[in-house]
Amino acid sequence: MSKYLIFEDFAFKDRRLLLGALAELGYREVEEGGALALFGYQGDQRPETAQIVVRRRFLGSASNDLGFVRTADGYAPIVSEYDQRTLHSGAFLVKLRTAYSEAVIEEVKRRLHGAAHRTVEGDRIRITVRY
Amino acid sequence: MPEIQFTINPSTGQLETHITGVAGPSCDDIAKLVRELLGQPARETETAEYRLQPQVRLQVHPGQPR
Repeated sequence: MSKYLIFEDFAFKDRRLLLGALAELGYREVEEGGALALFGYQGDQRPETAQIVVRRRFLGSASNDLGFVRTADGYAPIVSEYDQRTLHSGAFLVKLRTAYSEAVIEEVKRRLHGAAHRTVEGDRIRITVRY
Repeated sequence: MPEIQFTINPSTGQLETHITGVAGPSCDDIAKLVRELLGQPARETETAEYRLQPQVRLQVHPGQPR
């Protein structure tokens, strides 16, 4: 049985942008609720609950449910040790944060009625929003 | 022209934000919007430009009461 880990440093502030970032990574089917139960890969209910859940059938055959619990800083991911190692070759949280960052920039551009210019410099993505 | 420069580090997912061309309180409004979506930043610094007073030019149109 894989232990669940809560990543409070990775909290995502905006629910709608988080859902968009999850969709960007291919997880369009999510459940939302007050305190949804999380289940392990054998169907065993875990003590942890979450407000946003991606069920394990959308992740991998040996995966556990993936959750996001609402905290004062935003929605913190609850990921099992197994999925942390295997989802997106162990880069799931980094990829989700990158997708979320891009969603934030798009939202800022939209709210300011601005225009964006994107460049890649070395290993960095630079996006300039003018308004 | 005001602009916001965002830099994403894809190997960590971290985002850096640099606001230019906006002085003082207007800059705070943009920073507030970014904080609303990203949360409290790990680090926040004011540039010299931030401390400049915004230049306000009054335009008087003919026929308008003063």
